[in-house]
Amino acid sequence: MGTPPKTVVPIIASPTRRVTINRRAFLRGAGTVAIGLPFLEGLPERSAWAADSPPVFSMFIVAACGVVGNKFFPSATGPLTTAGLMAMPDKAVSVLAPHAPNLLFIKGINFPLTGPTGCGHAQGLCQSLTAAPPAGNGGSAYSTGVSADMVIAPAVNAGAADPLTLYAGSKAYIAERISFKAGGAGQVRAADLNPYNLYTKLTGLTTTTGAGGGTTVDPVAMELVTTRKSVNDLVRAELNSLMGMSALSSADKQRLKQHFDGIRDTEITMGTMAASCTKDGLSTTQLDALRTGFAFKANGMIEDVVKLHLELVALAFACNFNRVATLQWGDGTDGTKYSVPSNASLGWPFHHLSHRVDSDASVGSNPTAEQAHAEIDVLRMQSLLHGLDAFQARGLQDKSFVMWTNHIADGPSHSMRNVPHIIWGNGGGYLKQGLYLDAGNVTNNKLFNTLITAAIRDKSSAPVSFGMGTGTGTIAGMLA
Amino acid sequence: MRVQTLSLGLYVSVSVSLLGMGTLAGCYGRIENGGLNGGAGGNSQLPGANLPARLNLEGSPQYYRLVRLTNAQWARAVQDLLKLSSPSGLEKGFQGPVVGTTDFTNNELLLDVNQESWSGFQSSAETLAAQVTATDAALAQVYGGTDAAGFISTLGRRAYRRPLTPAEQATYLTLFNQGPSLTGTRSVFAKGASLVIRAMLQSPHFLYRAELGPAGAPLSGYEVAAKLSLWLRGTIPDDGLLDSAAGPGKLDTADGAAALATAMLGEPTATTVMQRFHDELLHFDRYAQISKINVPSYDPALNTELEDVSHLFFDKIFTQGLGVREILTTTSGFAGARTAPLYGMSAPATGYVERDLGSQRVGYFSQIPFLTLHGFNADPDPIHRGVSMNLDMLCAKLGPPVATIPPIPPTMPGQTNRQRIDTLTSTCGNQCHNQMINPLGFAFEHFDGMGQYRDTENGGLPIDSSGSYVFMNGAKTFTNAAGLMRAMADDPQAHLCYAKKLASYGLQRDIVVSDQALVQTLAATSMAANGSVKQVIVQLVRSDAFRTHAGGVK
Repeated sequence: MGTPPKTVVPIIASPTRRVTINRRAFLRGAGTVAIGLPFLEGLPERSAWAADSPPVFSMFIVAACGVVGNKFFPSATGPLTTAGLMAMPDKAVSVLAPHAPNLLFIKGINFPLTGPTGCGHAQGLCQSLTAAPPAGNGGSAYSTGVSADMVIAPAVNAGAADPLTLYAGSKAYIAERISFKAGGAGQVRAADLNPYNLYTKLTGLTTTTGAGGGTTVDPVAMELVTTRKSVNDLVRAELNSLMGMSALSSADKQRLKQHFDGIRDTEITMGTMAASCTKDGLSTTQLDALRTGFAFKANGMIEDVVKLHLELVALAFACNFNRVATLQWGDGTDGTKYSVPSNASLGWPFHHLSHRVDSDASVGSNPTAEQAHAEIDVLRMQSLLHGLDAFQARGLQDKSFVMWTNHIADGPSHSMRNVPHIIWGNGGGYLKQGLYLDAGNVTNNKLFNTLITAAIRDKSSAPVSFGMGTGTGTIAGMLA
Repeated sequence: MRVQTLSLGLYVSVSVSLLGMGTLAGCYGRIENGGLNGGAGGNSQLPGANLPARLNLEGSPQYYRLVRLTNAQWARAVQDLLKLSSPSGLEKGFQGPVVGTTDFTNNELLLDVNQESWSGFQSSAETLAAQVTATDAALAQVYGGTDAAGFISTLGRRAYRRPLTPAEQATYLTLFNQGPSLTGTRSVFAKGASLVIRAMLQSPHFLYRAELGPAGAPLSGYEVAAKLSLWLRGTIPDDGLLDSAAGPGKLDTADGAAALATAMLGEPTATTVMQRFHDELLHFDRYAQISKINVPSYDPALNTELEDVSHLFFDKIFTQGLGVREILTTTSGFAGARTAPLYGMSAPATGYVERDLGSQRVGYFSQIPFLTLHGFNADPDPIHRGVSMNLDMLCAKLGPPVATIPPIPPTMPGQTNRQRIDTLTSTCGNQCHNQMINPLGFAFEHFDGMGQYRDTENGGLPIDSSGSYVFMNGAKTFTNAAGLMRAMADDPQAHLCYAKKLASYGLQRDIVVSDQALVQTLAATSMAANGSVKQVIVQLVRSDAFRTHAGGVK
């Protein structure tokens, strides 16, 4: 692949592995210790909202199987308005009209490998957040670089916590392929399919009544926190002892080091959470239903899972639980049978619809399939709208950005040229809003230079040089 | 950098369609490393030096000395360690393994501890500790006494799968002694025990199966006990096994390990473990994803039955001391309410029954589950059938699909399905479909997309299911699926492939070129008269690869 992938140069943060608990938020969870225990390790070290330099939260979403290009974005670039989007109901993004003031549509962005040389779905996924060419193929495809979330999270998260890594889909074939570790190629990260898992971590953090404070501490929960240090010290000592064993390979020691670094202590401090750090707006009935026996159902469930994930990420951001998240929205070759009108007569899985023929491999031109794909695009935008509503309800439009893209531009060609990108939120005032922009046929490394810069601004002002591709620097047109 | 060859998944979609997955895949089989001309000739003899060229032995084993318990192993382990009356279910909230990058999800490459998984282990340890120390009565189920030292040594030996060292014992006693500082109404003993349980369940000595001796030296008795128990019982060694593991000359010998393995293979838990192996080997999870359009004989409720009868088939193979030969050649199979009619049989009143399926259905791959999975609606899907046989049962190397193929043509009047596919793939030449994929797939042309037998197709056209394939020991011809299955049973390649996959599952790592002697030994066991899956497992347990530290490193 030639030149090794570049990564962000001087970013901050020597991880302290210490996470402190916001007492007021902690108190909210004191009554729900039984299911609230997991959240304790992830509580924020300080208020996200009282900081001098406000944090920026970043979410990256990668959907599947392309879009119907001429029915997705507006026909012309330029300003976006609610009225304007509503006036183009033939375009899928018109669904997002209520958010027009906070939207930035971008065309003209390519992945480094612009056309498939093998399985285009896997190759596209591997590039979508890495801006680095893929290697391998099909089920064994991997990225040659680190993904943006894994650059941002160590820089901004307390204790260098890993980003939230979420999934919606059956994981039937070409599953997790968007979030990759640094320090070596091919280290794809596992993603969580069940929204209930994040829900349990957040449950103890939130309240349905706002940020009002209690004054007592549940003794069992408090002791749990205070005794963690002793347990963690014991475990660390054992890991250190193992790492000193000469029989172990460097790979073993690296594995133990990762384990060691994953252990974080917990402290309790006083602080004030945002008023939006509440359970309000969560689909708690649906989430509680996932508590036991969660099994992803191939057809019809994917959009529900997406919506739940988006609701929870919005809450996680509002509570400063984590500042970075990814969501893979569909398998590489997504087999969901969407119940859209034009698929009623076909009954094809999405991957086949995207090919316009009832086949995984060949490509046709069935017009009904194309219409079904366009209807699925609308459905997916409706799910995105649901999520953006949740983000907006928590006041995140000025504190975050949500990037939505696809792992290919369109189904029949599997092209990775001119892949649609949607940005919601101004990233702390850094990103332009209310605009449909032509980035000018650039590779997505420039897009991520821009987004990473926005995401880490409270930590670093150093220039960002991410991934591979043509050109350097940011995309000027994206800047506010 | 990890390099893998294709998995079956490249070619099979959840909707079971005709051509391969991925991009505009057309010719998705090509021979690598010499390929087709590597056969050594001869019959029923294991090939020698050309093995790597014919068998896919690519991978990137790291020979980790510390392999984290799988989520399933963790669940069973904490249940047995803490004597829980029922599974905790806490592992359902754990991070799952990355899907699709290794042959099996118990591969060492996937079993590490990161922030997310650590969070799950920590919270679960705290939950379980709180649960079993909530009352003295509950704690008595874990340990009958009330002395700290006894509690620590007893629980520690189970958790660490060896006796604690004096230093470890002292460390835990120090932690235990912090118990009285805890508030609440629990007894002092329960408070101290809760801290110890929390720590032990987060200890790397519990979370990882460790092999810590010098490279090449035999595993200790305790290490063998843990390795066998976690594999064949799916849980940590019980107290009795730990008692028997103490001291040299027992489990640290090949005979000792083999004897223990043999005993474990007779236990019900081994059947469960091997069911999981066959699940992953042949992708039984895909049965749940089958859907067919405009096929009157298809009922979505069939999906569950396909998985059930597949489990029953392989359970029988395993428990009754059968092996690869029977997998490929038995005419016996299981049928339920929905599969029986597809076989042309009456449905059982309830549940499933074992039946002789007749001479046309030889081996598992001539039965309804495989044929329905690899059927395109009502039509047979010879490409996926051929790909599956190549990848899963013969470990052949198929290259990645290449871009750009024409659409699949409709079947024309007077044209057989075979002719249609031949026409579609003819441009691929001799290096893909025509010699590797299609011949194996066409052998099943007498079975339609629902696995039903047929003599003719498309208005009475005769079906041609004959073909030839260059196996490890040379080309063999066959007239139909039954002939193909018998040819595979008599050729070493299927035995080598199964041996390789089973070794990968048992050793929890990729099997590579340096393992070829091991694979050949296992395959010889499989090919021998009455060779069984159990015998192959015992042979594997006897091997240095299994019984030594970093076994198999070259």
